[in-house]
Amino acid sequence: MVESDHCAKSSPFSTSQRFSMRLRCLFFFQALVRVPCRAVGGAVGPPIDGSVTVEQAVSLWAQHFQQQDISEPLLSSSYIIAHILGQKTLECIERSRLGDRLTEQQREMVWELCSKRLTRMPVQYVIEEWDFRDLTLKMKPPVFIPRPETEELVSLVLEDLQEQQKDKTRPALRCLEVGCGTGAISLSLLHSLPQLKAIALDKSQEAVCLTKENASRLGLDDRLNVHHLDVMTDEYLIVRDCGAVDVLVSNPPYLFTQDMESLQEEIVRFEDHAALDGGSDGMSVICQILALAPKLLTEEGRVYLEVDPRHPPMIKRLTEQRMIGLQYLETHCDLTNRTRFCVLQRRR
Amino acid sequence: IAVFFLQLLRLAAVKPGVFSRRQTAHCSTAALLRHTRRHLRLQRGFHTTTPALAARILSVEEIFSMQSLHRYLRKVQTEYRDCLHSLNTGDSQIDEEELRGKRERLSVLDPLVQRITELEEKQKELEETEALLKENDADLHELAQTEKENCLTTIQEIKQQIISALIPEEESDMSDLVLEVTAGIGGQEAMLFTAEIFTMYQNFASFHGWGFEILEFMSSDIGGVRHATASISGPLSYKKMKFEAGVHRVQRVPKTEKQGRMHTSTMTVAILPQPAEISFTINPKDLRIETKRASGAGGQHVNTTNSAVRIVHLPTGIVSESQQERSQIINKEKAMKVLLAKLYSAKLEEETSKRLQARKLQIGTKGRSEKIRTYNFCQDRITDHRIGKTLHDLDAFLLGEDLLDEMSSSLQQFYDQEALMDFLEDNNTD
Repeated sequence: MVESDHCAKSSPFSTSQRFSMRLRCLFFFQALVRVPCRAVGGAVGPPIDGSVTVEQAVSLWAQHFQQQDISEPLLSSSYIIAHILGQKTLECIERSRLGDRLTEQQREMVWELCSKRLTRMPVQYVIEEWDFRDLTLKMKPPVFIPRPETEELVSLVLEDLQEQQKDKTRPALRCLEVGCGTGAISLSLLHSLPQLKAIALDKSQEAVCLTKENASRLGLDDRLNVHHLDVMTDEYLIVRDCGAVDVLVSNPPYLFTQDMESLQEEIVRFEDHAALDGGSDGMSVICQILALAPKLLTEEGRVYLEVDPRHPPMIKRLTEQRMIGLQYLETHCDLTNRTRFCVLQRRR
Repeated sequence: IAVFFLQLLRLAAVKPGVFSRRQTAHCSTAALLRHTRRHLRLQRGFHTTTPALAARILSVEEIFSMQSLHRYLRKVQTEYRDCLHSLNTGDSQIDEEELRGKRERLSVLDPLVQRITELEEKQKELEETEALLKENDADLHELAQTEKENCLTTIQEIKQQIISALIPEEESDMSDLVLEVTAGIGGQEAMLFTAEIFTMYQNFASFHGWGFEILEFMSSDIGGVRHATASISGPLSYKKMKFEAGVHRVQRVPKTEKQGRMHTSTMTVAILPQPAEISFTINPKDLRIETKRASGAGGQHVNTTNSAVRIVHLPTGIVSESQQERSQIINKEKAMKVLLAKLYSAKLEEETSKRLQARKLQIGTKGRSEKIRTYNFCQDRITDHRIGKTLHDLDAFLLGEDLLDEMSSSLQQFYDQEALMDFLEDNNTD
């Protein structure tokens, strides 16, 4: 699971190539820092003479992450340092500024945040934000960090909703998200569709708070209702309060319990397992969502789910064998051609 | 006079599409692009200097003194009269189809013929006024003098309008573009120069109020750029930028040089037109999209920060990639944008070369110089080899403001003039 910079070098992606030279000259700066091995948890001490340039800091930490077997060492170091300099990526920083010395305050921040990464905390939690489509969202442990596949789930929903909105006689569309986490899906939909209204649920209080915070930061809180409800146990309240939506969208926990052990340490140690573990066949929350869907959807309302690639045939069989009031429409693949998304529709 | 002509040409921005039928024949852009490609392939091969082209921008008077122009204008008038004649007399030997053709031709020729008639009238007026000037009446003399000046101004304006109407428009002139810069020979120094040129165009875009969105950016050590692309959008952006395509050469003592020797390095600029709506579709099956998430299980199983996307168009092997963004889907959109621009220009190039072969024209009559421009820091000058124009003050030029704009306007004028000559040549031999 660990992606070392080795594979980055042999691959067409060349972010790291330009640093290879610097890494070679690294022992030049190593003279500037205390030898790391004796520091607790492998932390690097700040430079003795107190001065280090942006580039030097990036290389130094990249190399240190690599020694400590931290995944994506160069990217981690680049993203953290770019963030401290107020930018999203190193490329955004003016080329001439890369040779500038970090201020004392910046240097302390770099050392503080990079040390967090040494504990295998995901970069998104270290810098407390990440991008999802065209939005920048606040990230906070243990709320699940949205994955790039989910951006494609949003594209699917958007395409359909934009089509439906062409019918001007329709009343404003409504959408329900189960397990909103950071709020990524609902907020992206609201951001792209100014007429849409959304309801988001999560069983975790932290997720509910984070979704609310992200909504108000983006000025979307007037069209979003967030409820602290558990889809597994609060069936009555959900049906009573959230009903009649045109779209039900979810990225539910879909991992098979036995796969939980083999996850990256970053995930196991920092992310909420409840957002990942979908039971022995990864279907427990999915089944519950499908059972509730007919009671929540408008006529011809649709369900959009992100799932494990093994799930689509299982879900299809479920709709065929049991009369659950839903019709299986289609399976979509993600960018890597894995069957990742299912679309279902309420039967008339 | 040349400066005056320059200003007039700039004024005459709107050209009636009189000769739209012929426009397609003149597509210097694609020729330029093809040259750029060739340069990319031969990057290490050339270091020899092709002599600067002895080009001169002609004044309106000089253009109007050309026989070919008069021959063409006479031809247009004759054709117009013939069309008019056969339409008015209702010649029974001509069928409906031909009549319709003539009617269309008439409406196409009409604006130009009107200008020619106006010009003839004004010229007659001028002759009469000049005759008055020869008489010895003092009051009349003064009046005639003013009249003469007015006439001359109007004549100049009409002539300018005629010239503008004859210059063939380019299909892609109104489109936006993708700028691509690539470091050539010269290692780190070439990459530093590439970075400076990229910044120059970024400034040029803001100087004109165009949008400038960086799509790809591969930086090198010490702040240089290996390769970068940006999407530039705004009124006339393509028209103004298209002549920047080609090999740019820098001569200076690099910052990295310890013994004070002068180096010569190069970088290449490609300008890919990007119309607002690209008129061809790509079959998704023809694309291979590569991401860092291809290995392993993906989805909730993996948390990565590498959101780079690389797209390969399988039938052509054209590749684009983006890694600027933290969102994978935005990277994909950006890579797709570059890919579309690359495919579009490849298609344009293919079509143009077909057309050129069909017309048995010598390929490479346009954008012929290998290196288009030299930036010589020791002499503080910029020389464009295509038109032999030299400007001074490199720092100001690299700001991407007035000086670059001046160079761009001269190139535009020169190419307009060349297009006009080609046009006259083609149309007089018909």
